[in-house]
Amino acid sequence: MTASVNVPLNSRGKLAATLPAEQLAEITALFEFRRTGHSLDAPFYTDSTIFKIDMEAIFGQHWIFAASTAELPEPGDYVTVDYGPYSLIVLRNDDGGVNILHNVCRHRGARVLTDAAGTTGNLVCGYHSWTYSPEGNLIHASAPGETKFDKGCFGLKRAHGREVAGLIFACIADEPPADFDETAKIFEPYLAPHDLSKTKIAYQQNIIEEGNWKLVMENNRECYHCDGHPELACSLFPTWGLTEGLIPAHLQEVWDRNKEAQSTLEDRCRRYGLPYEVVEQLDTRIAGIRISRESLDGDGESFSPDGHRLSKKLLGDLRDFRLGRCSMHLQPNSWFHFLGDHVVTFGVFPINEHQTLVRTTWLVADDAVEGIDYDPEKLTYTWKQTNLQDKAFVELCQQGAGSPAYEPGPYMKSEYQVEAFINWYVQRVQEHLA
Amino acid sequence: MIEVLTETGTQEPQRIRGLEMPWNRVMGSNEGAARAAHALGPWHPQEFMAECVETVPEAGGMMTFVFRRCDGAPLAFRAGQYVNVAFPVNGEEPEPVDRSYSLSSSPTEPWTFNITVKCDPTGLVSPWVHANVKPGTVLEMLGPVGAFHLPDADRRARYLLLAAGAGITPIMSMVRTIHSLPGQADVVVLYHGAAAGGFAFHKELAYTASVDSRVKVFYSLGDRSIPDGWEGLSGRLTAAMLEEVAPDANGRQVYACGPEGYLNTATELLKKVGVDDTSIYMEFFSGDRQTLLEYQAEVALAADFAEGIAEEIAESAEDYYESQPTAFGLYEPVYDADGTLEASGLPLEIVAPEAPGSDASAESAGGEPEAASPDASSFDTVGTGSLTMSFMRTGINVRIEPSERILEVAHRAGVRIGANCKEGMCGSCKVVKLSGEIEMNHQGGIRAREISAGKFLPCCSTARTDMVIDA
Repeated sequence: MTASVNVPLNSRGKLAATLPAEQLAEITALFEFRRTGHSLDAPFYTDSTIFKIDMEAIFGQHWIFAASTAELPEPGDYVTVDYGPYSLIVLRNDDGGVNILHNVCRHRGARVLTDAAGTTGNLVCGYHSWTYSPEGNLIHASAPGETKFDKGCFGLKRAHGREVAGLIFACIADEPPADFDETAKIFEPYLAPHDLSKTKIAYQQNIIEEGNWKLVMENNRECYHCDGHPELACSLFPTWGLTEGLIPAHLQEVWDRNKEAQSTLEDRCRRYGLPYEVVEQLDTRIAGIRISRESLDGDGESFSPDGHRLSKKLLGDLRDFRLGRCSMHLQPNSWFHFLGDHVVTFGVFPINEHQTLVRTTWLVADDAVEGIDYDPEKLTYTWKQTNLQDKAFVELCQQGAGSPAYEPGPYMKSEYQVEAFINWYVQRVQEHLA
Repeated sequence: MIEVLTETGTQEPQRIRGLEMPWNRVMGSNEGAARAAHALGPWHPQEFMAECVETVPEAGGMMTFVFRRCDGAPLAFRAGQYVNVAFPVNGEEPEPVDRSYSLSSSPTEPWTFNITVKCDPTGLVSPWVHANVKPGTVLEMLGPVGAFHLPDADRRARYLLLAAGAGITPIMSMVRTIHSLPGQADVVVLYHGAAAGGFAFHKELAYTASVDSRVKVFYSLGDRSIPDGWEGLSGRLTAAMLEEVAPDANGRQVYACGPEGYLNTATELLKKVGVDDTSIYMEFFSGDRQTLLEYQAEVALAADFAEGIAEEIAESAEDYYESQPTAFGLYEPVYDADGTLEASGLPLEIVAPEAPGSDASAESAGGEPEAASPDASSFDTVGTGSLTMSFMRTGINVRIEPSERILEVAHRAGVRIGANCKEGMCGSCKVVKLSGEIEMNHQGGIRAREISAGKFLPCCSTARTDMVIDA
């Protein structure tokens, strides 16, 4: 049941193999005896060893959302993505593909690219000017007097990259989970009509939440707390996650409006051939997903106080602004809202066991003109406020997890997707430790 | 030969994305024949004489008058604009009476142009026009004028065109223009008329809709009595009717033209079906005082402008045409509070030049970058060679042979340029070239975008001409 400490160190360099047997047994037991339907025990949110296991078993094994194509539209454009101890370069190459490279110089390990985003030809380490091609090959290192230096042995380490419907994913595992292709087939038809390749960044926000990455994800998976999002509640029905019979009296009216809006939206989707059905495989597959197209309140177009559009240019070949929100949740680190007029992507990048970077990017049609077709302030207002509120909620929970008085509490019915996320997480880590 | 009239194949034509007016590219180019074709672009309004060459009676008491410019030039305009015509209603004396009429033809056939006039028996001008304007009549005109028109480029050309009565004339120009252009478009025309036989252009509209899958046309008789056999809609404009003809109206640009009451109703209904008010363009075709004043103001501005252009051309025709907008930032005539025409508009996605960095703009803006910099002729000159490189920041001229690597020579002369690989790979020696030509053999250390912005790698470059370098 427990992984043996006698596994040779070279067996994929697993952290588990290096842990003292007692500590490993303790951690394995935490996963094994996790109480279904309840939040996790405190160490999952506070313990640095479990964080290391998370980085290895989750972020080291699975496809993680890195960026959208709008963030690197042209050859040479790159973004750097950091999580835990890792730093990746996501680079648009000359063939139009994406190269994912470990941002670690093969000379003495310096970060090669230090900016969060930019454009580069070859990649030059700032320390001793070791120069790598966009493919990661070492093409120049001044080597006076060296006779046995073989540049071919010192290319940047590469990772797997995948671009689907304008979203770029990275996987640093030797062998990425094979079912990602199936998941991509699920979401591609929902996203393709929004044509992310013809969008541009209207605004990008990086916030650091003082909380464990799992609390960030958990918080996003329920709307039980949506009373705390007054701006968002103008357009997003706060009955999200509820079903008939679970509706509190004060939301009955909203629920009725929601049902009507949903039925109108589905008519529109059928007219335009847009998929809208809920596909929910959050913990029943490795590359877990939930996707659907759901109605918005008011005009039903966008995340504005009256639900009216926030950018005047329709995305892709969409014919109609009243398309609600196509929302997607991907394990382990992202969620998205695709609307007729804009797209919001959310990437979650853990820093350590108690800090997480949340990167929110607002995309509009690439021919939309700032100040004429959209006002960046108005475009970003609702989710900026919501992010701040969510940050506060996550931080309250992190503080709680640090208290000796904390004990796991029950997820409510409307929080079943939180349970699915945690269940997915626990399964994946156990598989890795096994 | 036997002609087989059986219809074969019902596949959709393959089209490029969106719509683009033909002058768009012409105005973005300055070379060769394209330059001569600049006249086909919708310039600022001009005053010109035009000769009537044909009259065509239309249904609904309307008459189309086909004109050509007396000077032989094509008339450049945008679909939806109008011309102001001086009609000598009372002979040459006293002053002729000015009236504005929408152009009903397509600017893609610019060698002749049409106006279509409805005869209002109680009016002063239109009965005169119907009775007197015929082939050979020469009239003085000013145009094109008006901000109610199709855009120069639209990658999602989805339109709802609403017309009532004589309001069909600018809409007809739009339909004809779209039909004449390649590209994806989705056009719904909803045309309200007073009598079953009174829809001007109905034969052509029916034909266009039958051969062009991008265009759908709906007719409505309003609240008038419906004759037997009528296959169109009935009733005034309602939200339900809009939903029926264009259930995706809220994603379309709407162009509406007709009497004031009709347009006021349309404004309300469009809002109801979710059309954003910034997606609605209207042309009032009523003779109410406010509208007339607006027309007069616009025409007066255009006249001033035309006069200015005439003077400019008289001074130096060549200079004038060279000074016309060449970038894809095409102008839309905007009449601001000061009464000046301002250039604005959006760059096209495909051919838009690289947004110039500060370095590049310094080069392209003046054409003479040295002018703003210190005078290189005062610098010391070192070295030997047939060419001179001026390093503006260092303040030195360095002689160089065409075979020598620029970086080496610069370093020898003490110019500070960082460098590492010296083989065109790492890009660390990248500098900006202010003028002159080089030959560069880089190995990926610089991007095409940077090169077009004026940068180069001196480590792997040789000079072909005298150079001015920002280092």
